[in-house]
Amino acid sequence: MTSQILGGVMLAYLAAGCLFLVAVLRDSARRRAAARTVLAAGLGAHSVALLLRWRDLYGVALAHAASPDFSERLRLVFLYVPLSNFYESLVFFAWCLPFTALVVFRRQRQPYVGVVVGLLAALILAYASLRVDSHIRPLMPALKSNWLLIHVVTCFLGYAAFALACGAALLYLWQARRPAAGLPALSELDRFIYQAVVVGFVFLTLGILTGAVWAESAWGRYWSWDPKETWSLITWFIYATLLHARLAKGWQGRRIAWLAVVGFLAVLFTYLGVSFLLPGLHSYLT
Amino acid sequence: MSADQLHPAWLGRLWGFLTSVRLTIFLLLALSWLSILGTIRYDGIYYTVWFLAPLALFALNLSACLVKGLPQAVARVRRPLTLADALALPERGKFTVSGAGNPETRVAAAMRAELGRGLRQERGGEELVFFLERGRWRPLGPYLVHLSLLFILAGGLIGKYLGLEGRVSLMPGEMVRAMHTPAGENPLPFQLRLERFQVWYYADGTPREFRSDLTFTGEDGRTEQVVCRVNEPVTFGGLTFYQSSYGQIVPLRVTLGQDAQEVEAPLGRVMSVLGGKGKIKVLAYEPNLVMPMGGKPQALGPAVRLAYLREGEHARAVWVLKNFPQVSARQSEPYLFEFLDKSLGYFSVLQVKWDPGVWWVYVGFLLLLPGFFLAFARPPQRWAVVLAPRPGGGWQGRLLGAAPRAREAFQARQERLLSRLTAGGGA
Repeated sequence: MTSQILGGVMLAYLAAGCLFLVAVLRDSARRRAAARTVLAAGLGAHSVALLLRWRDLYGVALAHAASPDFSERLRLVFLYVPLSNFYESLVFFAWCLPFTALVVFRRQRQPYVGVVVGLLAALILAYASLRVDSHIRPLMPALKSNWLLIHVVTCFLGYAAFALACGAALLYLWQARRPAAGLPALSELDRFIYQAVVVGFVFLTLGILTGAVWAESAWGRYWSWDPKETWSLITWFIYATLLHARLAKGWQGRRIAWLAVVGFLAVLFTYLGVSFLLPGLHSYLT
Repeated sequence: MSADQLHPAWLGRLWGFLTSVRLTIFLLLALSWLSILGTIRYDGIYYTVWFLAPLALFALNLSACLVKGLPQAVARVRRPLTLADALALPERGKFTVSGAGNPETRVAAAMRAELGRGLRQERGGEELVFFLERGRWRPLGPYLVHLSLLFILAGGLIGKYLGLEGRVSLMPGEMVRAMHTPAGENPLPFQLRLERFQVWYYADGTPREFRSDLTFTGEDGRTEQVVCRVNEPVTFGGLTFYQSSYGQIVPLRVTLGQDAQEVEAPLGRVMSVLGGKGKIKVLAYEPNLVMPMGGKPQALGPAVRLAYLREGEHARAVWVLKNFPQVSARQSEPYLFEFLDKSLGYFSVLQVKWDPGVWWVYVGFLLLLPGFFLAFARPPQRWAVVLAPRPGGGWQGRLLGAAPRAREAFQARQERLLSRLTAGGGA
């Protein structure tokens, strides 16, 4: 059931991305409004799919619990969030992108954000459904914590904001080389990169903090230089560099755009590279 | 007399270097590179001078910026917006207000509705001036963030040099009075006994939960029985115990000539056997070993990788298969190892810690939140409305304002404010 819905959601994101693209090229307000509607509908269906998967996981958990009372049931609900393996993380990441664009940056009405969000979310969902094991896996003991929910949510909202910043930065670099009439002005892109990085930076920091508190309560070490921790710190250093360069040294334009791109590469390595290439606490892919 | 004259020039240059953002950017990028090296090549670089020296310089940079900038920030926060400041703000728009009704209340209501509390009103000659500022505390934000990072670094330092960390591995029924640390055995100020260890599995064989039932006995004879689970640590005598992992206890029979002995060998622990004539260590346990046999993978059933050592010899390793005892017999001569057909036991591994730095780190975390809020969510904005009586009756209004760090939000608010003021004026 969830996979059928997610298939439809993927098509909706793809359609929204294409509509936004047309809206950018033709500078059409009507198409932009249509694209927003399609994207919002996709996000709504996506949320439903997440809730259904959550319900399924809860059902599995309930089957293992012996006559749980209300508080135990509530505990199980929060423990068995659909955020505990690679497939679920991809589906959630794909959800965070339109959520960030439509809710966090609701004032930002520029269609290029919609192009980045729609196409990237569709790509991630396609990859998740075709190449990643979507079976419901039982929860390993280390993940049974109330911190799981807040840790994963903050991290992925951060990743999504960084993805938007990277999309705007790529557009900036393109625009700076060969200016096109229909595309947004450089100063506007520059501002958006900065805003998206600030949002991402705050969420990434919250993600690292919640992870540290969780690790302290689970293993007695808030920091153990696990590769994923270290890479999240590297990512944090890069965006901290960007913020200092911009706020204190007044850097703007191309250099900031490059830092936003490099930062997002570090995000991708933190999310994917570490899991596939470097072993550690977060190797939940196997 | 300025500070420059009091100190030699090199001190001024050093201070300039330590407080420079260029140094911050250089250090952030350097620490990134070093961390990348740490994850791909040099594991443990984080504890060497190569990493700690730039980190120390980073802490110095943070402190220097704090010392330099915090007093200025505090001074700015303590100096509220004055009438003169307000009147010096750049003009953003004009509007007219009809003379009917009370223009003062209408303007004040419009400003309160859009900008919130803190509105002040003063009369400057003929003119009426309404003004307020938002985000007055913003200058403190970055310094709070930097202070919180210093707390976190200090906590790390305190934990590293004043804290204790070790691990205990216990078989059911076993009692210990010491823990293993990187520096060797470290005595515990109490006894710890593992009463029972349990593991539950999911249908697919992955562990669902494991727990240790522990009894602590203090030096005063006080005892306490507790259950330690993953994510649920227990504390006794100031030390905290975390259920970190577990391992199998493998039932083996060791035979050398006429001597034979049955041992319960925990994974990873060196055991003396046959009255000290040899030593063994189980390196790995496989519930179902798969090996290529004649070019095809074959499932061989339960197996252990066993290292063994005779006095005066080099250690050797061999696979011991439960279902095929003869496989290892040929390789391990003159020893004979058998994997006995009994159920496996488990031993529990507990992480032990006392970290007085954790609270510094947590204070840092807590300071970070208001720091970010002030730094990013409260851009400073200053607004003023000046009402001057028009010769023909009614009032001429001017909207003044500035928000150097949040131009868009400012722009949007300016439009809303002007429309409110105009609507209120009915001009």
